[in-house]
Amino acid sequence: MSQRNERSMQPEFDGVTHWLIHHAARRAPECLSSRLEEEWLADLESRFSALSRLRFAAGCCWAALVIVNDYPRSRVPVASVVLTVKGFNTRADGNFSYFSLRSGTLFLIVGLYAALFCGLTTTFSHTRGLAAPPNSHNHVLNPVPPEIEMTYLLPGR
Amino acid sequence: MGQKDTNVRMSLQTLRVLEAFLENPTEPLAGADVHQRCGIASGTLYPILLRLESAGWFVSQWESIEPSSAGRPRRRLYRMTSTGLRRASEVFASFNRGVLA
Repeated sequence: MSQRNERSMQPEFDGVTHWLIHHAARRAPECLSSRLEEEWLADLESRFSALSRLRFAAGCCWAALVIVNDYPRSRVPVASVVLTVKGFNTRADGNFSYFSLRSGTLFLIVGLYAALFCGLTTTFSHTRGLAAPPNSHNHVLNPVPPEIEMTYLLPGR
Repeated sequence: MGQKDTNVRMSLQTLRVLEAFLENPTEPLAGADVHQRCGIASGTLYPILLRLESAGWFVSQWESIEPSSAGRPRRRLYRMTSTGLRRASEVFASFNRGVLA
């Protein structure tokens, strides 16, 4: 896609990118939400191509998830920006979740692959059963008529 | 904010961010500037900037411009603190010793 086409697509994507950034900022801790939204929207202006802006906005969604994971869950956000920004936790201070975001993502991806594999296996096994040629199926033969007792025809009876 | 001195988990991306700031430690940089210098995606860059700020290595403030006259929104500028400069220098010194030893 040429740069010109990307620029012409920009107005169509602008609504999406702004919505993504707004959505990402809302997912961030409350005390950082407005600051991050303004910061990300300002940094978005340095991107010109539509795809670059979309990538930036999608990255902001991921950044919000990471920031929420970094933020200590035990501390309730308070009104003071300074205090809450100080409360922002690093991994060195300890993380109160059972899994890190990276581990959770890994488990999710492995789970999705396992589900996909199981689904494909089941589908192919059914498909293979249906795809067998019809002449290889067992046909039910006409029932054999019961043997007639012909003993009365035997001589001497 | 800048007085706190906490250890930060060092990743390759964190080192690249620190390297970008160490080129001119007095120069404040916005996230977009760091992206242009390091090429780190926004999903990785902003959590790193916030971790470093939380640890007291960086301070940030809004750009002092008038958005209507400048024709663009004000950006959030990050600047390395003296603590950050010292700690980043120590990290790179130990890193170089480890590599060159």
